[in-house]
Amino acid sequence: MSAQDGTTAPAPDLSVDFAGIALRNPVLTASGTFGYGVEFGPFLDLTRLGGFVAKSLTVDPRHGNPPPRIVETPAGMLNAISLENVGVDDFVATKLPAIPDGVPVIASVFGTEIDRYAEVCKRLTGVPKVAGLEVNASCPHVKAGGIEFGQDPQALATLVAACRSATDLPLVIKLSPNVTSPAEMARVCEGEGADGIAAINTLQALEVDPETRRPALANVLGGLSGPAIRPVAQRIVFQIAQAVSIPVCGMGGITCAADAVRFLLCGATAIQVGTANYLNPEVAGEIVEGLAAYCERHGVARVADLVGALDRS
Amino acid sequence: MNVNAVRSLMAIERNEAEGRGGNRRLVLRAPADWPEPAPGQFLMLHLAPPEPPRHDPLLPRPMAVYRTERRPDATLLEVLYKVVGRGTSLLAGYDPGVALPVVGPLGRGFETPGAGETALLVGGGTGIASLYGLAAAARAQADVHVLLGARHADDLMGLADFEALGVRLSLATEDGSAGHRGLVTALLERALAEADGPTRVYACGPTPMMQAVAGLAEGAGVPCTLSLENRMACGFGVCLGCAVHGPGEKLHLVCRDGPVFDTTELRVDALP
Repeated sequence: MSAQDGTTAPAPDLSVDFAGIALRNPVLTASGTFGYGVEFGPFLDLTRLGGFVAKSLTVDPRHGNPPPRIVETPAGMLNAISLENVGVDDFVATKLPAIPDGVPVIASVFGTEIDRYAEVCKRLTGVPKVAGLEVNASCPHVKAGGIEFGQDPQALATLVAACRSATDLPLVIKLSPNVTSPAEMARVCEGEGADGIAAINTLQALEVDPETRRPALANVLGGLSGPAIRPVAQRIVFQIAQAVSIPVCGMGGITCAADAVRFLLCGATAIQVGTANYLNPEVAGEIVEGLAAYCERHGVARVADLVGALDRS
Repeated sequence: MNVNAVRSLMAIERNEAEGRGGNRRLVLRAPADWPEPAPGQFLMLHLAPPEPPRHDPLLPRPMAVYRTERRPDATLLEVLYKVVGRGTSLLAGYDPGVALPVVGPLGRGFETPGAGETALLVGGGTGIASLYGLAAAARAQADVHVLLGARHADDLMGLADFEALGVRLSLATEDGSAGHRGLVTALLERALAEADGPTRVYACGPTPMMQAVAGLAEGAGVPCTLSLENRMACGFGVCLGCAVHGPGEKLHLVCRDGPVFDTTELRVDALP
């Protein structure tokens, strides 16, 4: 395997550094779409992935919303699960040990109050296999009348600062797209010491059954995901990448390697596969292979060279 | 955990209308070593081949495994479905040779009845497809009585297959075009009254039917098992979309904890 013999080029280098986390490739799986990883054992060798983001964790176990919780929409789906999870301590005790070694796990952190977020960050710090934290900022802030942390620059700044002082792990903030300027929110996170941005979370949405005249979900509102949101997500990742110097992990409707390339070109250093994991539990591995093939086809030696390389000439 | 589930690309062998009611039989060519499905297990069937990519409709559809036939070079996997919406209309248009991704077999299937027990299997509409495997597996050791109901005779899925099993078969149609004119629950009332010795009820069908069946079984003091349908995105316990109420605060996932449940595990009044 050398370029000199004229037959084969060296395999492209897929590795990236995202927010201080060394990833063997830029393909991660998104929180809430990949369970605790073990559910994908029958379908996918987890060690092929760059890493995965586990389901959001709260201090205490949390029941989700009543059904119906999902509905299919054009090229997408709405969900209102409400972050059902086993709680941080059970995750560390029973879920993490089942993850094979060598797979960076980014734990997703969630709470209804700032000190609860900070407590989850603290309990995950120093735990083997946890390579970084992704703070889900799309939770209603109980003390601020229910507005999401990620929708209020002041609340977001306080949240990021509290998480920052609770952990020395790489700290990534996952932003809501349901704001006028996600880039402004990203700047707030950077100013408070975040190491990276993840974007986007689901778009707030509503589906209606005209026959029953009722909302399709018991929770009325849900989060829209899937290919329907991809161009919106690419726009937001593009704007954030222009606005901050910390790296961005891009997601929203990625179903194939070409979509992953699109996000890298828009400025994402790494990407996450979400809803597509439901449709094809092997898809994240296929995207890794597809990215390598893309790089070979286009003579790209390092996948990192694609980051922000959108040609606007 | 569905440790035996695999993802496979399966070519369509047959995709044919059965009767005039919109029912269709899909025969897929699965790998010869496709895991042995338990009666009542299901699969997630994609509605389009992988190439060219198609994202609308987005989600695969949960379908009962109707029957499998092992051949040296393949497993023939049968699914009965009814054209009811966008997804099933699309599916009905595929010719033999088209290959669709399938994940399965998934979920917790039926526990077959014990030796000498009477098993009353109550199927309504498309729910009939979930019961064939159970009827076939139970007939050797149990006294199997299959009660099928639908709007019209043409809607009675797989009727000839049930007849070929040689089990006791009773039919009900709402328009009287086959069997008893009325609901299948009337047949169940009669069967429960006639049953002597240990008896179990198994049912799959529309929610009002299953609620009525559960009520009749409870009234007769007979255990009752339901196979549920629900919206789901993944089928293997990750999207958490298919939750149903159990007693108290408990929520079950239809895909992982079911689709087969004993009625004592469910809040039957709150079925989807």
